[in-house]
Amino acid sequence: MRFMVIVKSTPGAEKEGALPDPQLLIEMGAYNEELVKAGVLLACDGLHPSSKGARVKFSGKSRTVIDGPFTEAKELIAGFSILQVKSLEEAIEWVKRAPNCNPTGESEVEVRQIFEMEDFAPILTEEQIQHKVAKRAELPLQTANR
Amino acid sequence: MRFMVIVKATPESEKEGALPDPQLLAEMGKFNEELIKAGVVLAMDGLHPSSKGARVKFSGKDRTIIDGPFTEAKELVAGFWIWQVKSLEEAIEWAKRCPNPHDSDSEIEIRQVFEMEDFAPVLTEEQIQHKVTKRAELPLQTANK
Repeated sequence: MRFMVIVKSTPGAEKEGALPDPQLLIEMGAYNEELVKAGVLLACDGLHPSSKGARVKFSGKSRTVIDGPFTEAKELIAGFSILQVKSLEEAIEWVKRAPNCNPTGESEVEVRQIFEMEDFAPILTEEQIQHKVAKRAELPLQTANR
Repeated sequence: MRFMVIVKATPESEKEGALPDPQLLAEMGKFNEELIKAGVVLAMDGLHPSSKGARVKFSGKDRTIIDGPFTEAKELVAGFWIWQVKSLEEAIEWAKRCPNPHDSDSEIEIRQVFEMEDFAPVLTEEQIQHKVTKRAELPLQTANK
């Protein structure tokens, strides 16, 4: 099963031009190497503060663009990884061992299961599912269930 | 430049056992094919409702687990892409052409992804190259082209 591990942001991470604390980068790097050795880590990335981003609101056919930054840091994403594990419980156990992304305070990580194309069997034909699987396999750097 | 394009959830997408509407899947599939032809998509995935997820709160060395589901659907992630484009403006233009990801009003957030070189102010060249190498070894890791 694949899980997306979403690291929520903090006011510190959201500061304009903020870069991660170098010590945290080192500790997170060491933690990620454990995950890689265990064959668990498929992908990981960090995100620039929301001042470098935007939102697009969809209402019927209209599209409204709102530039960042956005308030409520803890609703924003600071980074994510994708894990290949046997269960939600295993994903949680790995996440508990991660360094605190806000070493002097509090932070939150959300763990969410990723849809595999086979999960759409109730609404798609086998042919449609295989088409989707094939298309995804062509993407340069798509993670996939093993 | 790489951007993470985040589709926010809605109360409908958050319903227990919810699957995307097949018509939406078809429209989104067509949009994705355009993106792929343009060489924009590096990766993409949808997420099960938060009832199949959990949160881990970190406080110092404490870890507290909270099971899903979670309220405030519009703060939750329903799906994402990783795109390779020239600028935020280009990402926004593509996002505006996306079919509405949900039947109701919805929102997409576009966020720039850190490249290891962005850490030059806080890491040595050697540390940066080490990270770049490690990432290249990941089985399926998106990286700036």
